[in-house]
Amino acid sequence: MRVWIKFAKESPMRFLSHLDLMRVWQRAVRRAELPVAYSAGFNRHPKISFASALAVGVTSAGEYLDIQFTKLLDEAAFVRLAETLPQGLKLLDWRQIPEGTPALMSLVCAAQWELPLQADECRHLQQAVSELLSASSLPVEREGKKGIKTVDIRPLIYSLAADEKESCLRMLLASGGEGVVRPVEVLKLLCLPDVAGRLRRTELYVASGQCFFEPMAVLLN
Amino acid sequence: MVDYKLEFWDKILPRVQKPTRYLGNEVNAVAKDLSRCLLKVALAFPDLYEVGMSHLGLKILYSLINDHEQWAAERVFMPDSDLEAILQNEAFPLCSLETVTPLAAFDLLGFTLQYELSYATILQMLRLGGISLLALSRGEEEPLVVGGGPGAFNPEPLADFFDFFMLGDAEETLPQVLSFLEQNRHLSRAEKLRSLSRIAGVYVPSLYIPDFDQHGSFLGTTPLHANLPRQIQRAVVEDLDAAVYPEKFVVPYGSIVHDRLVLELFRGCTRGCRFCQAGIIYRPLRERTPAKLKVLAKELVRTSGYDELALSSLSSGDYSAIGQLVTELGMELAKEGVALSLPSLRLDSFSSQLAEQVKQVRKSGLTFAPEAGTQRLRDVINKNISETDLISAATDAFAAGWTGIKLYFMIGLPTETDEDLEGITALVRKVTLAYKQAGCRGKPRVTVSVSVFVPKAHTPFQWAGLIGRDEILRRQNVLRQSLRATGAQFKWHGVEPSLLEAALARGGRELCAVIARAAELGCKLDGWDEHFSFENWQQAFRDNGLELAELAVRQYALDDPLPWDHLASGVTKSFLQKEYELALAAKVSRDCRENCLGCGMSLLLEGKNGKEGKGACHDARLD
Repeated sequence: MRVWIKFAKESPMRFLSHLDLMRVWQRAVRRAELPVAYSAGFNRHPKISFASALAVGVTSAGEYLDIQFTKLLDEAAFVRLAETLPQGLKLLDWRQIPEGTPALMSLVCAAQWELPLQADECRHLQQAVSELLSASSLPVEREGKKGIKTVDIRPLIYSLAADEKESCLRMLLASGGEGVVRPVEVLKLLCLPDVAGRLRRTELYVASGQCFFEPMAVLLN
Repeated sequence: MVDYKLEFWDKILPRVQKPTRYLGNEVNAVAKDLSRCLLKVALAFPDLYEVGMSHLGLKILYSLINDHEQWAAERVFMPDSDLEAILQNEAFPLCSLETVTPLAAFDLLGFTLQYELSYATILQMLRLGGISLLALSRGEEEPLVVGGGPGAFNPEPLADFFDFFMLGDAEETLPQVLSFLEQNRHLSRAEKLRSLSRIAGVYVPSLYIPDFDQHGSFLGTTPLHANLPRQIQRAVVEDLDAAVYPEKFVVPYGSIVHDRLVLELFRGCTRGCRFCQAGIIYRPLRERTPAKLKVLAKELVRTSGYDELALSSLSSGDYSAIGQLVTELGMELAKEGVALSLPSLRLDSFSSQLAEQVKQVRKSGLTFAPEAGTQRLRDVINKNISETDLISAATDAFAAGWTGIKLYFMIGLPTETDEDLEGITALVRKVTLAYKQAGCRGKPRVTVSVSVFVPKAHTPFQWAGLIGRDEILRRQNVLRQSLRATGAQFKWHGVEPSLLEAALARGGRELCAVIARAAELGCKLDGWDEHFSFENWQQAFRDNGLELAELAVRQYALDDPLPWDHLASGVTKSFLQKEYELALAAKVSRDCRENCLGCGMSLLLEGKNGKEGKGACHDARLD
């Protein structure tokens, strides 16, 4: 049985690295006595993968796991799993998916981000947001193994809005598929430095046809 | 009131390198409402989280205290330099992990004394916790500071900083101590300590003073009052099955040094290696039953989610039902995908059958400890294994599929000559040859790890000295040269940490001022190369009119009063002396399961509660 699990990573779990978080899930699955499938070969490892890595220090309400089990599981199994998670990790939802579905990691194409702001901060940001959106290109420099390279992130910003009612900045950014925009890159363009500690990822999306869907809602066959 | 937790999690943790070390809400961590607890204990390990979390004793005490509804135990470790600097600069006190409570708010602060190189770290933790360093200047509101573990058998170098020490198995002493403190909150510190000194295994250093003659020679440590015992007897848990063992291990987020479950098969050892302190201070041999171990193993796996379990004790192969246990437990655990490992195997108990069984689950590295290169020197230290044992163990291991082996030796053992060093090389050659004889092609990976022998209190070698800096370097060099042709990898321990360890291990109260000065100079985490500063330590000794190198090589005469004579391990000084003399004559003593050697333990056990002791000492009688 193959399953996608949606979970939240709140403080204090935000301090866990990708590797730490993987270990936490592997152990939680064992504590809940769920029959996870193992890879073949000399160095066997449980078939658990994340949809997308999340930087240390960032919280999220929309993280996903892709797990292969050896047996069919019922709701009670996932209740057990939810109960054995450490404080700060919350199992939000799960769904069974068809066996041949590609890895969730390869399907994710966008991420929704939020940055809480003060009301007046939000108002002052409107101008900068519309200027940024009206730019025809937004080159940013990235340091890679082969030196510095310039990427135009404008086509990868799917939406950007300063929401005065909720006092937050909301961004829908490419994440996989066509490319990746790091939320801090956008914040830097908006001259909002050093606020990464308040960043929150709220959802990941997969594409189906011309539309984005939440992984829990997308039709699979 | 400051909300330490909010402040720490939100303002401090985002700025440190490895925040998961300090998070403290791991699975199975116990965070109680401290305002409802009658007794709050901070369990401190004077090293980094990764080291301290690997220690079984801490887990046992954590369970023992937290199992009691109205007692709370929380953990605290030494912060790494980045967090230490933040705490210091921002005057934020060192806090426990569970509820982020400052150390000063606890009733009792317990340090485990595992190795001498952690002593300066204890003082740093007291300082960061805002607790007075000197026991005598602590206020009524400050926690009582207690130490336990092997270091408590010669705690004199730390006597000024501790209110009391606990000798022996804390499972026995600690509940009595805590019950007393719970019921006597109204008493003053001095009154509490006087009463605690009546509990077996409790040593209150301020109630004992070292005496000196007019030339300043040490005469012994004596009690201040006539109604205090002249010697403090170590506490012994007789039935390990009935003793507390944690059923839930706190599961760390990051990886730690020993990142696996640990099951203690037995305590004590009957082999009688003459250099080994653990072999003396954990007597007699006490085993857990296979039935109990299997129940524990199952529970530990279920509650932690770990996929590896290590069977641990001083010499696991000596467990009386080891073959049966490994087979049965190994099969049960394999069903759940849990690997079984057996880290402490004596090579004479390593059989091809055991090799096969351990291999089934995971082929971890294999380490054997011949300790010395020649039969003569192995007889001196009473490591009763022969070259044949080693070669057959190695052959079995190679035949079972291992391709590498690690051999552990010591240099600087009493009576060692260059011939014994050559013996190490000769052994390594034979092990390499055994690889071919086992039908393997190519060359095995042989690692030769050589440490420096440091004499310890309460052992037959307690009178001997370290061989000294130049001689250590020379012998390391001899070994390096002669091992070169064998293709073995040579690993050795640093000289300077060994010198310091030796100087602290057998010293008296004169070292308190040295350790205080070293801490002042910034010494901490001395077990880590990147923190260890030999210059600062030398300075600390000199500032107190002492020379580190001289104290390290100091020998005691057999009739010298020793700084730990007033602390009894249960093994008599006359037994240790007899063993020392046998050692110098290169005569061995048998395993005491075969033949009671009259070490004194059976007397201690019989004296206790007027009943006879169990375990290996059951039938023992002194002649």
